[in-house]
Amino acid sequence: MDLLEYQAKALFREMGIPVLPSQRIDHCRDLKGLKIPYPVVLKSQVYTGGRGKAGGVKFVANTIDAIAAAQAIFNLPIMGQYPEVLLAEAKYDAQQELYLAVLLDRTTRCPLLLGSIAGGSETDLTMKQLQQVQVDQEFSSFYARRLALKMNLSGELIQSVSAIVEKMYRLFVSKDLDLIEINPLGVSRSGDVMALDGKVTVNDEALGRHPDLNGLQGQLPTRSPASLRSILNFIPLEGNIGVLCNGAGLTMATLDLLHKAGGKPAGFVNLGREGRYGLSPEQLQIQIEQGLELLKQAKGVKVILVNLLSSIVSASDIASAIASYLQRQPYNHRAPQIIVRLVGNEFASAQEMLMAIEVPTLDHLDDAIAKVVSLSKSKLA
Amino acid sequence: MNLTTSKILVQGMMEPMGSRYVPLMMNYGTPIAAGISPGHRGETIGGIPVFDMVEQAIESLGAIDTSVILVQPYLVLDAALEAMAAGIRQLVIVTESVPPLDMVRLTRKAEATGTIVIGSSSPGIIVPGELLLGIHPAEFYRPGSIGLISRSGTLIYEVALTLTQAGLGQSIAISIGGDRILGSSYDYWLNYLQQDLRTEAIVLVGEIGGDSEEQAAKHITQAIDKPVIAYIAGRTAPRRQVMGHSSAVITTQITDFDADLGTFDRKIAAMKQAKIPVADRPSQIPDLLKKALAHKKPTLQA
Repeated sequence: MDLLEYQAKALFREMGIPVLPSQRIDHCRDLKGLKIPYPVVLKSQVYTGGRGKAGGVKFVANTIDAIAAAQAIFNLPIMGQYPEVLLAEAKYDAQQELYLAVLLDRTTRCPLLLGSIAGGSETDLTMKQLQQVQVDQEFSSFYARRLALKMNLSGELIQSVSAIVEKMYRLFVSKDLDLIEINPLGVSRSGDVMALDGKVTVNDEALGRHPDLNGLQGQLPTRSPASLRSILNFIPLEGNIGVLCNGAGLTMATLDLLHKAGGKPAGFVNLGREGRYGLSPEQLQIQIEQGLELLKQAKGVKVILVNLLSSIVSASDIASAIASYLQRQPYNHRAPQIIVRLVGNEFASAQEMLMAIEVPTLDHLDDAIAKVVSLSKSKLA
Repeated sequence: MNLTTSKILVQGMMEPMGSRYVPLMMNYGTPIAAGISPGHRGETIGGIPVFDMVEQAIESLGAIDTSVILVQPYLVLDAALEAMAAGIRQLVIVTESVPPLDMVRLTRKAEATGTIVIGSSSPGIIVPGELLLGIHPAEFYRPGSIGLISRSGTLIYEVALTLTQAGLGQSIAISIGGDRILGSSYDYWLNYLQQDLRTEAIVLVGEIGGDSEEQAAKHITQAIDKPVIAYIAGRTAPRRQVMGHSSAVITTQITDFDADLGTFDRKIAAMKQAKIPVADRPSQIPDLLKKALAHKKPTLQA
């Protein structure tokens, strides 16, 4: 789950990472009660980067200007996203801008500290000077100092920047983050440091044990988080074949096969793996029905392919879930044609049950794919 | 990893996954010596005694080789630490969605103690006809000489079934797991299959995301001389789309770092460079295997 800048900064403040005085603006009228002295900067609170260049950040010197600027920002989509809130923040004179981040490297299974002496909006320059330090043992402050030195910092900045990195790392671990980034970290003429912008991504799997962060989800109306808890998501694509499948690998393989056979997926519902704790066979049957309903309601779906493999839910049980779903459909209702691919010891009885209600049921995946693709192209389906 | 083990433990015996999957393993003849579920000491499931803690089980039954972990995601780290503290050196973690930083701590401890970890989010290991350490659907598998490795769950079942239907049995099938941070890599299991006497050829069932297939391709060139066939899922998957589990997030959150990391094209290029034949659909794998085995036999006799 991504946090907005103002939410990230609330975490920074908690951890003692310096941030400027700021105020959340939900409506233009909130600016009349602004407690920060002008000049202030108004910032669009969206999840995408590059908002400065898109016009989502404006400096204002008085209330009249501020209201006009806020109206403009509220009505400015950034990568298609309109902000729900703005952040009004004090202005800061940075002499230098640095880039700092902590994330988890999957290959080495170690947290990585990243830093660049060239922070700010010029990503290419930042990347060119990017330094990294692998936290390959228990964290201690020296890892942060090692990064500061690699970044070519000297004098007092070594301590002040590494202190920020250390706090970022502590936040990363204590809140189960996937990513914490400060860009830029402003350095003032007197050598003080300030987190001017921040990005935080919380790990979805760990969200359940951080009620404080989980609570923020309700405050994120512009995007639904890709949480594993809301497992039944319809992911839209552009064709006319809906896919109901279980497991990411098998879902991807099924989509690839459809494309290869000349079909065009309209989207898919992935019911997930079997190692999902707490998912009972009964729930899987309910999810099959819910998945079919999602696909039926999705735009452009003409044919549905069901491809499910399970260790504990038999072909017959899957077939009866599909049959019970179809039997509850209103008479005369034109639901998309369903093609089912099932395997296993109980295939024959599953096939019999489904054929009786005119649902073609096959056991070979390639055959099922061919059948679905040909139906997706026929005029009558 | 030693798969000729005699004493196996299940952690999370009385929990939902335990009651669902332990019967699968027992029916397959897996020698489960004990189950662990705090508060359930003295109970039995199908004749298997349940203990409150791992150390009690060991006190009563002697050393245990392997533990299959089926507890809920936030308790996996603790269960693994408990098992390692009690001297167990082989762990199979079936539970999905273990927080990545828990897996970092877990794998560090595993390295320090010389423990082999499979998973998390893994259906485990099956030695067809002999042993099931996890949740593979046994009916799709037949004993034979093809070694299967994958990160996937249901997709490895699909490939196993395809091989079985084509008359190609399997020596062993392992899923290293679908979570982002994993206890063991493809490389470890490629080495295992290279040394395994029953395995004549290897099928690597990969998917987009991460760089483990690219690493594996490199490793195969350097260390594996048995024939390897690959299949990679995700050619047409929408970019930057979470497909359902964390390892298939198509790039890391920071695209700026390496926009090509984990793409289908990258993985195929890595396989080509390592001269590994790539099947373009699961049903093509048996043909490629038969070709590779036919090609290999004369050189073996020579």
